[in-house]
Amino acid sequence: MFAATHPARLNTLALLGVALLAAVLASLALGSNPISVAQVLQALLDPASDPDAVVWGSRVPRTLVGLLVGACLGVAGTIMQGQTGNPLADPGLFGVSSGASLAVVLGAYLLGHDSMSVSLLLAMAGALVASVLVFGVASLSRDLANPVPLAIAGTAVSALLNAVISFLVLTNASSLEAYRVWVVGSLGGRGLEGLSLVLVPALAGLVLALVNARSLNSLTLGLDLARGLGETVWRARLVGLGAITLTTASAVAVAGPLGFIGLTAPHVGRALVGGNHYRLLPASALVGAVTLLACDVIGRLIGGGQAEVPVGVVLAVLGGVAFVAIVRRAKLAAM
Amino acid sequence: MIMKSRLLVAAVLALLTLAACSSTGTPAASSSATQSAVADTGWSYTDDTGKTVTLAARPERIAGFADQMLTLLSYGIRPVAIFGRVDVASDPRFADYDLTGIEIVGNAYGEIDLEALAEAQPDLIVSAVYPSDREGTVDSTSPYYGMKDLEQQGKIEAIAKVIAVKVGGTGLGLIESNAKVALALGAEQATVDAAKATFDTAAANLTKVAAEHPLEVTVMYADADGIYLVKPEDEPQTELYKSLGVKLTELDPDGAYYWDIYSWENAGKVMGGDIILLSNEGYQIEDLKKQATFATHPALVAGQVHSNPYVAMDYAAQAKTMDQLAAWLSESQDV
Repeated sequence: MFAATHPARLNTLALLGVALLAAVLASLALGSNPISVAQVLQALLDPASDPDAVVWGSRVPRTLVGLLVGACLGVAGTIMQGQTGNPLADPGLFGVSSGASLAVVLGAYLLGHDSMSVSLLLAMAGALVASVLVFGVASLSRDLANPVPLAIAGTAVSALLNAVISFLVLTNASSLEAYRVWVVGSLGGRGLEGLSLVLVPALAGLVLALVNARSLNSLTLGLDLARGLGETVWRARLVGLGAITLTTASAVAVAGPLGFIGLTAPHVGRALVGGNHYRLLPASALVGAVTLLACDVIGRLIGGGQAEVPVGVVLAVLGGVAFVAIVRRAKLAAM
Repeated sequence: MIMKSRLLVAAVLALLTLAACSSTGTPAASSSATQSAVADTGWSYTDDTGKTVTLAARPERIAGFADQMLTLLSYGIRPVAIFGRVDVASDPRFADYDLTGIEIVGNAYGEIDLEALAEAQPDLIVSAVYPSDREGTVDSTSPYYGMKDLEQQGKIEAIAKVIAVKVGGTGLGLIESNAKVALALGAEQATVDAAKATFDTAAANLTKVAAEHPLEVTVMYADADGIYLVKPEDEPQTELYKSLGVKLTELDPDGAYYWDIYSWENAGKVMGGDIILLSNEGYQIEDLKKQATFATHPALVAGQVHSNPYVAMDYAAQAKTMDQLAAWLSESQDV
């Protein structure tokens, strides 16, 4: 039944693809530097004519980063909600965002500077360590099939890490500085270097997510039915956790802890294509990427000319409104 | 550092203005500080905000904000307690001074150990205020710089009376204002005169070198949001350099106060400088090189980027900094 193709839903996926294309074009054409579309097109075809490297130096890498980060967040949120059976779960639930944040702050505290590339590496490492820590704590319960110990361990570890972050930030101004810039979440100033660093883990995470799709479909039916369908639940959990960690860590490392996409993209995806994860995962990835790029373009345009508003701020405002709208429509498809 | 301080101040001011929009703020008098030591009736001082403090005798035990305590130390006055925006013990600006016996009562903005401050038994506390616009307006409803809020300020004022130096206007005016406080607190006139003589020599030398090497100097801070270009007339230190004949990058002297933000895709508009003085906070040289839209900056390519920490506004410290700038001007290429 799940594998049956549903023409309307495939059409929806195709429409999401068109929306993504539109978002990509907007992201390439619009920005805080008011160069014309003709100039952008010419620069795309002939990099030598690129005015001040705006297109190839800023918009192209930024668009690619936005695509990858948005897709990662959408997928991570979908798996998190599917794994925990909790429609309010977001990718940060397993302590990944907190781990990344703490690593960035610790880097500023111990190394005394807030270089972008160092922050990137630290965030990646911190996210991975936090994830392993959470899984380790949860495994003490000897019942990894049950999502509750994982969620509790994630919440506890996050709370602990956030306490340490607060302590460091409040007692040391230079770590506050690094944290302030990073915690907002932005696609600005990220070059291809940032992308290249997270490309492999991000793609690995996305592949793991697809591998996890069948298990997620079974888990949605409840643990007993999933076992009845021949699911090895602990293995499904491990694959899911791996996918969440790799995708979230990649996204957080390159763009900072962006909110709302991980939480809302799965809901929009579910409303559009239903609960089958073979369609839901790609749909959430597309929704996440479209949302992030669109919000980033908005942030570039409302900065008042030559400055920009970081996408994290735009997401916080628009994402909140969007989420309320989703809830109000009361069309939350059953998990 | 001072630039970020300004940002913080601006944010705090904005919040307080919102919170207290109904109350009519009394515009602070911008008259120059006047000191009148009256032998019989005690000691009194009118500070930059127009506030007059009267004490039974000249205060001997001084406490206050790090920037102001640095200038006092340079004129031979040892405070009993210091609170800083960053860790005071590791602040390189204090490296030349022996802090033995001086109580460090705060190492982060607004985090002041009131008990320790009270135990130091200061007779007077010297603080700072930052104007919120080009006209030098001081918001009387916001706390002194370095203090968390009016509540904390009230507790501090209960420990000892507070005077403030206004960190705005011309560089020379600010240096003189700091020196005036020192003289009122018992600094030797000869000490101040000697420091001023050194300063005058350095200033004359800087003017001479700037005429011989008319290179353009860009003073900026950078982070993921882009480039923050300081407006020379709005920052006392750069105003000083400008008044001495140094050519500073100045793209939009009017408009927003203190600095303009150029997103990374607008970095091409800030390519005019031959020498870059880069804030020691935020992005550093290696980070700038990774920004494709800025990497081709001639000064960056020529290695003419120098770290720019906040320097105390006293004659000796500024003389040293001007000598350094003069050396950079004469060493650097016109790019």
